[in-house]
Amino acid sequence: MSQTIGSRTLTWLDGARRSVCRIGWPATDKDRAAAMISSLFLHIHPARVSRHVLKPTYTFALGLISGILFIVLAVTGLALMLYYVPYPPEAYRSMKDLQFVVTFGIVLRNIHRWSAHAMVGVVFLHMCRVFWTGSYKPPREFNWVIGVVLLLLTLGLSFTGYLLPWDQLAFWAITVGTNIAAYAPVVGDQVKFLLLGGHMIGPMTLLRFYVLHCVMLPLAMLLLISLHVWRVRKDGLSGAEIHASPTEELAGAFPASTKTYGLMAIGKRPRASVEARDPNDEVFAWPHLLYRELLVALAVIIVLHIVSLVFMAPLEEIADPTRTPNPAKAPWYFLGLQELVHYSALMGGVIVPTLLVLALLAVPYVDRGAAGSGRWFAPERKMANTIFTSLAAVFVVLTIVGTLFRGANWAWVWPWK
Amino acid sequence: MTKKDVLPDPVRRSMFAIGCIAVGAATAGFLAATFRFLVPNVLYEPSRRFDIGPPSDFPPGAVTFLPDRRLYVFNGPDGFYAISSICTHLGCNVKRGGPGFECPCHGSRFDENGQVAQGPAPKALAWYALSLSPHAQLVVDLDQQVSPEFRLRA
Ligand code: HEM
Ligand code: FES
Repeated sequence: MSQTIGSRTLTWLDGARRSVCRIGWPATDKDRAAAMISSLFLHIHPARVSRHVLKPTYTFALGLISGILFIVLAVTGLALMLYYVPYPPEAYRSMKDLQFVVTFGIVLRNIHRWSAHAMVGVVFLHMCRVFWTGSYKPPREFNWVIGVVLLLLTLGLSFTGYLLPWDQLAFWAITVGTNIAAYAPVVGDQVKFLLLGGHMIGPMTLLRFYVLHCVMLPLAMLLLISLHVWRVRKDGLSGAEIHASPTEELAGAFPASTKTYGLMAIGKRPRASVEARDPNDEVFAWPHLLYRELLVALAVIIVLHIVSLVFMAPLEEIADPTRTPNPAKAPWYFLGLQELVHYSALMGGVIVPTLLVLALLAVPYVDRGAAGSGRWFAPERKMANTIFTSLAAVFVVLTIVGTLFRGANWAWVWPWK
Repeated sequence: MTKKDVLPDPVRRSMFAIGCIAVGAATAGFLAATFRFLVPNVLYEPSRRFDIGPPSDFPPGAVTFLPDRRLYVFNGPDGFYAISSICTHLGCNVKRGGPGFECPCHGSRFDENGQVAQGPAPKALAWYALSLSPHAQLVVDLDQQVSPEFRLRA
């Protein structure tokens, strides 16, 4: 009797579980493929991936980490919004509350702040990886362009977030930053007026930055990340093709790789195959890829927590428009530009950044031809790599100089003195 | 296969194009209106024209800094004049230093008339018109810039 009650309960529970998640722990290859394809969230992965994709030294998971940081920022940001009041001077007081009154407020704030800084760096490194492996070559040209927009959005999100604490650091960084924008020819002053919602940084500015930071830019980012990752899924990761041996017999004999598309109802194969055609080179995304992604996510979360428990996010005195701190610095990722601005505002504030962005956008359309794609530092790409690396190095050096080697009156200082 | 088996396209391609253009135009108009919406009509900022007290508050030969207004007011031998403390480079507050003004942010220097002496600032500090109100108060108008010859005799 108790036997039947027990087994009936189990059957009932199993039925309930099946209503949520139709496949159980996938034990057969068919289920492993189905697990990936039948889930809304997992089907951004292909069912089977080339071993090449799994090699951590190819991507260093930098795109994945960018995505994880975005999720961390969205979650912690939503939590912070429950206490934050976007109106001066309450804005500053709510930061103090988060720091001293709200349980775990300080940890959440630290995680949000440090993830934002990390994201700027990681997205930049991801871009370098994509360049150095020639991964923007056909058919991925446009995904590079989307990537450049994502980089700009990342900077925009960081910059708008910088004002929200309404402390001296925030106020003067945004003063310097928005005045750089005002140097743009013809429209500069109007752009600044629109951004500030007036002639000076005040309540209107805070509200505008708040809406941009909490709603508009994150939505744009979410949309573009989806598009970006979708295209990676369609085109496959670069490099898989050259590591596999695509023979027609094999492609015919092992229809598994085309079957994915059948299940997803996609008529045409993309130009580059998502899966390597050599089945010996392929493994199932469940569990090989998924497990690695979980490990990376875990590592990111652990590191963020340790950093946020040890290092406090800065909060200076409340913003005071009548008192300029000396030196007044923009956020660190703009200090390369500020260093240039110190020589000439038009040059550093407008001409150089505009040319840099245009050059980045044009990269895949100027550096044409498929040679050297999918490998680190391919010798065929020596010239492109040299140009890119030199420019990136100059930019990094300027940023370090602006951050560490500039003191009062923007005079040269040695950081160890 | 008879003709009946083929479902005709519900619209012609040209109609489809016209539809797309119409929706595009409507969206563009809507966005233009929204753009205008972003430009505030009323600014809840301190007035750009304000009085700063009677001339007797400013002793002859002295320089007074009004931090809230970001303004230096001079009472020189030929009369009163006002110079902005907003650095023309990137908007920091300049301080009195040397013969004129110094900016803490990127090291611009200005002479006693606010003309650029050194550094990245592209133009001179702004001079604003001063006038005397009917109640004998000094009035500054930030929307009226004047040349360094300006003096108000009061
Ligand atoms: C918010 C920022 C970004 C996120 C979340 C993101 C995410 C990703 C992910 C998850 C991948 C898969 C491969 C990998 O993990 O490395 C990827 C690939 C790629 N990304 Fe990004 N990315 C971002 C920014 C950028 C930027 C700034 C660029 C370049 C300007 C870029 C260009 C590319 C290209 C061309 C690929 C394909 C690479 C290949 O097939 O080897 N992405 N991205
Ligand atoms: S803001 Fe004054 S020198 Fe840059």
